[in-house]
Amino acid sequence: MAMRQTPLTCSGHTRPVVDLAFSGITPYGYFLISACKDGKPMLRQGDTGDWIGTFLGHKGAVWGATLNTDATKAATAAADFSAKVWDAVSGDEVLTLAHKHIVKTVTFTRDSNCLLTGGNDKLLRLYDLVNPEAAPQEISGHTSAIKKALWCNNDKQILSAAEDKTIRLWDRSSMEEVKTLTFDKSVSSMEYVADGEILVITYGKTIAFYNALSLDLIKTVEAPATINSASLHPEKDFFVAGGEDFKLYKFDYSTKEELESYKGHFGPVHCVRFSPDGELYASGSEDGTLRLWQTAVGKTYGLWKCVLPEDLGSENSEQLYTSPPEIKA
Amino acid sequence: MLVRRELVAQQERHTMAAPVPVLRLPKGPDPNSRGFDPSSPRFIALCRTSIPTSAAPEADAEELQREQQVRSELRENFLWCLHAMTNKKVQFHMHEKVKVEATFGASDIDVLNFQVSDLQTPIGVQKEALIRSQDVISLSFDM
Repeated sequence: MAMRQTPLTCSGHTRPVVDLAFSGITPYGYFLISACKDGKPMLRQGDTGDWIGTFLGHKGAVWGATLNTDATKAATAAADFSAKVWDAVSGDEVLTLAHKHIVKTVTFTRDSNCLLTGGNDKLLRLYDLVNPEAAPQEISGHTSAIKKALWCNNDKQILSAAEDKTIRLWDRSSMEEVKTLTFDKSVSSMEYVADGEILVITYGKTIAFYNALSLDLIKTVEAPATINSASLHPEKDFFVAGGEDFKLYKFDYSTKEELESYKGHFGPVHCVRFSPDGELYASGSEDGTLRLWQTAVGKTYGLWKCVLPEDLGSENSEQLYTSPPEIKA
Repeated sequence: MLVRRELVAQQERHTMAAPVPVLRLPKGPDPNSRGFDPSSPRFIALCRTSIPTSAAPEADAEELQREQQVRSELRENFLWCLHAMTNKKVQFHMHEKVKVEATFGASDIDVLNFQVSDLQTPIGVQKEALIRSQDVISLSFDM
């Protein structure tokens, strides 16, 4: 018997959640960081959504947040013109990197030794975290605010998306522009899937998949509403997307078929990401919450408990929490 | 239990599917702390000690003890200082050449904010205020 998706709501933020990122899988599980306009990014246990801690220090909205692979470091980008690096175990601030304008995006290389930042000053900056006092290398070229920057091709190249409606590929060593993609709409999000070198881009109602090395288009899929963020499952069988109609959509990657849609958020969805094991995906919304959604609905995982139909209503179900029934409008 | 059966049956009739049960809801933030529980297994395993000597590969036990003692003394002095400042007029030297005076109330536990009264500012006196400790370079007061 089919079961209905029960999203898990993570509360705590008091303003819209604009970015989220998962760590890799560590001996202590995997972790999730959320960037919020309330200036207080939070760290959560990835498979349960349990709050672990709040990084305190930013004096403005936090626009971007990321974790390194083993979740020992976090980095955040904020409207207070700074990017900060944090110890993700103790919650202590480790480094403040002053910028000349709002910082929108931060990302670590795989070895956590270099931090890439981008923001409203239209520059990409590379900070050597081993020698943090050294001035960062700067890459210019974008003609408008940078929204998202990523490492790709084994950290040898950089991808950046800006308000100038371009996505540019840069070479790290030469710092030169290698290729540019131009769109007629602003790109709302970008995700890089290292395994397979796939770039997931969203703009308007479109979710587009590109080869991250050549920037050749693989395919595009149209959604029923304006999409703000999309994420491809690690095994590349599904992708999920969310946007202005508050819903989460799940599509089949090969057939492009829309499989499911879920209501739950009370505001536009700003970001959505699959967990590193693909068992769940997290969404952040204008409504100030994060929600965790199961990839395989009904499976026992994290806080979700698989219950056979005959057990419902029996003595055993006393221990389980069943969410109150939604009243359909 | 009868009520829950009714509700579940209602849903099934309505949607042909029961919602996936959950063990509990995700834990939310603790209103009194910023988290990062020092007793968690991850913290214990990964958090480097903040004492430089003990972080070194060969820690001299005596030096370690001496360092810890000095650190304790410094911390104690700092806490006594905060205590002594209570209800006294304190001058805050802050970034951007800002100098303000106020009556010191208290500090919060993480020393992130100072609660002050009668804060003298160039645009008037603020009866009650919170000063971000990160903005303060130094403060001075008469004992």
